Amino acid sequence: MKNPLTPIKAIIKDIRPEAEGVKTYTLSTEFSFVAEPGQFNMIGYPGVGEAPISLSAIMQVGDSTLRDGSFKHTIKSVGRVTDFLKDFKKGDELFFRGPYGRGWPVKKAEKRDVLIIAGGLGLAPLRPVIHLILNSRESFGDVSLIYGARNEKNMLFMDEFKIWEKDISLYITVDEVSDVSKSPHPPFTKEWSGGINVGLVTDLLDRVKIKPERVIAFVCGPEIMMRFICRGLMMHGMSQSSLYVSLERRMKCGIAQCGHCQHSGLFVCKDGPVFSYKEVRGLPDGVL
Amino acid sequence: MTGERTFQKFKRLIPKKAFLLWLDSLKKDYKLIGPTKTGRHAVFKEVDSSKELFMEYETTMLSPGKLFLYKPNEELFRFAMNGKITIDEIAPIAEKQIITGVHPCDVNAILYLDRTFLRTFKDPHYEARRKNTLIISLNCARVSENCFCSSVGAGPFLHAAGGYDMLLTNFESEYLVEIKSREAEELFGLEGRGAGQDEMRFKAEKEKSMHGKFKKNINVSGLDNIFAENMEHHIWQQTAEEKCLSCANCVMVCPTCFCYDLRDEMSMDLKTVTRYRCFDACQDMKFAEVHGGNFRQRRAARLRQFVTHKLGQTNQYGVLGTVGCGRCITWCPTGIDLTEITKEIQKFKVKS
Repeated sequence: MKNPLTPIKAIIKDIRPEAEGVKTYTLSTEFSFVAEPGQFNMIGYPGVGEAPISLSAIMQVGDSTLRDGSFKHTIKSVGRVTDFLKDFKKGDELFFRGPYGRGWPVKKAEKRDVLIIAGGLGLAPLRPVIHLILNSRESFGDVSLIYGARNEKNMLFMDEFKIWEKDISLYITVDEVSDVSKSPHPPFTKEWSGGINVGLVTDLLDRVKIKPERVIAFVCGPEIMMRFICRGLMMHGMSQSSLYVSLERRMKCGIAQCGHCQHSGLFVCKDGPVFSYKEVRGLPDGVL
Repeated sequence: MTGERTFQKFKRLIPKKAFLLWLDSLKKDYKLIGPTKTGRHAVFKEVDSSKELFMEYETTMLSPGKLFLYKPNEELFRFAMNGKITIDEIAPIAEKQIITGVHPCDVNAILYLDRTFLRTFKDPHYEARRKNTLIISLNCARVSENCFCSSVGAGPFLHAAGGYDMLLTNFESEYLVEIKSREAEELFGLEGRGAGQDEMRFKAEKEKSMHGKFKKNINVSGLDNIFAENMEHHIWQQTAEEKCLSCANCVMVCPTCFCYDLRDEMSMDLKTVTRYRCFDACQDMKFAEVHGGNFRQRRAARLRQFVTHKLGQTNQYGVLGTVGCGRCITWCPTGIDLTEITKEIQKFKVKS
């Protein structure tokens, strides 16, 4: 019997620098890889280990970009595995297994307004949702992306913003301006060049028209950011059960065995990583 | 493994000597594993003869399930690193084995491990061993100092519906033998004398008298909520500061703790990488660490994770995570007792 922990070989088709210390790897394997938005793979290399990395693009019905069954991971080098990956070149082999986990409830979002809220690297697991919406735009109501990064050097997928903003409303902000000469004077949340604001991502919530009964929100970013976004959205009248968050935990197996990602009886790898806010709000050992 | 087909369950009284001889007769086809006496302690290990068995043992440090089914260390793959990397999957070894003298708590612990390793994603090593292992349970005749199985429904007599093969109850010079699986039925050729209502009544009385002998008792009703409402109870911080060493003894001796780490080891000639799995512990500082933070940085949080995973968090598998074997209490070098922590929190609940 096949061991579910057996890794699968993948070839790096393309690598592109995305932001400071962040690269997007396009991978392909012998079979056509299919996943759902919000799922992740365990990415690794023999002798180095494995790390859970969300998919930042996947083959979807009607998607013209990845019809060949390849898939993308947008990875920041921060740990043993991701540091090792940063020296990889096009054509190199690496290993993965997956897809794992429960992704974003995109079916539930149909016919509704969608708020996509991301902080920093948190935009990566949400990009497949954006692609899916753009591919069947008529199935959704008003769609807004609120995205914040530390500064413009840390901002992901900026080259796609122009395509995205044709169909969805973009609200972009940076915590700080890396080039001080371009900095606007306080108060924050003023528009800066290129339609980018300065201030925390939570500040932008007031800019978006939220019809609480129509809207569903997908939120991904640092846990502390998700806490304040969810609480902010609840102040706008949204219910906990229409807010979804994606959690990050240490994982070794991805298949609900190794126990590292356990969160009050939940396996983040299997029961998540996407949860409704209702399921995870206020649990111990988290800040939601 | 049991329960696939119907079979003739039967109950017989067998002289102990005859039973042990029957075990010896199986040696040609099975590895025989059971409790043995080593110094002051009892240890589950492979034996050459039933004469080595120490069926009167009270408890062991390590449970048979985490020695002979879910192994502390397991090689999974070998990667050959010659230009193009190839993977050798290490095939599960399916040696036939009998584990005898398994106390009810440890049978229930094996059923708990089944939930981790035989559900959505099956572990082939565990599954192969589980299929090739005959489990002979032995109802307890003694209560150890730290046992609290009677409070959590895991002992001292076994009531699990399936997942084991035979059940023994001590009847002086005989065992009451209850056959629970087809495989056991086919293997067990001893006639003995049939056990009727009188014997079953006698068994029930034995069980009842055992329940009265427990020194540790705990009320587990509503514990999920009681813990959830008292996550910042001072007992967590206090115990962590005054006693807990984060040594992870509790996890290592726990028969239900299933967490593991995956590790890679490269050969000296750099040509082979072995990926293996080994026990890991939530008490370890790095266990829940991610880039930029650690979800259980505080020792109190790690201690709380262990205790609530055993006695709360039933949302995970629908059952308690403890079988009341008391090993974590026995082997804690500073005497932390999860039943005492729970009682302290329950006291607080009543007051508030």
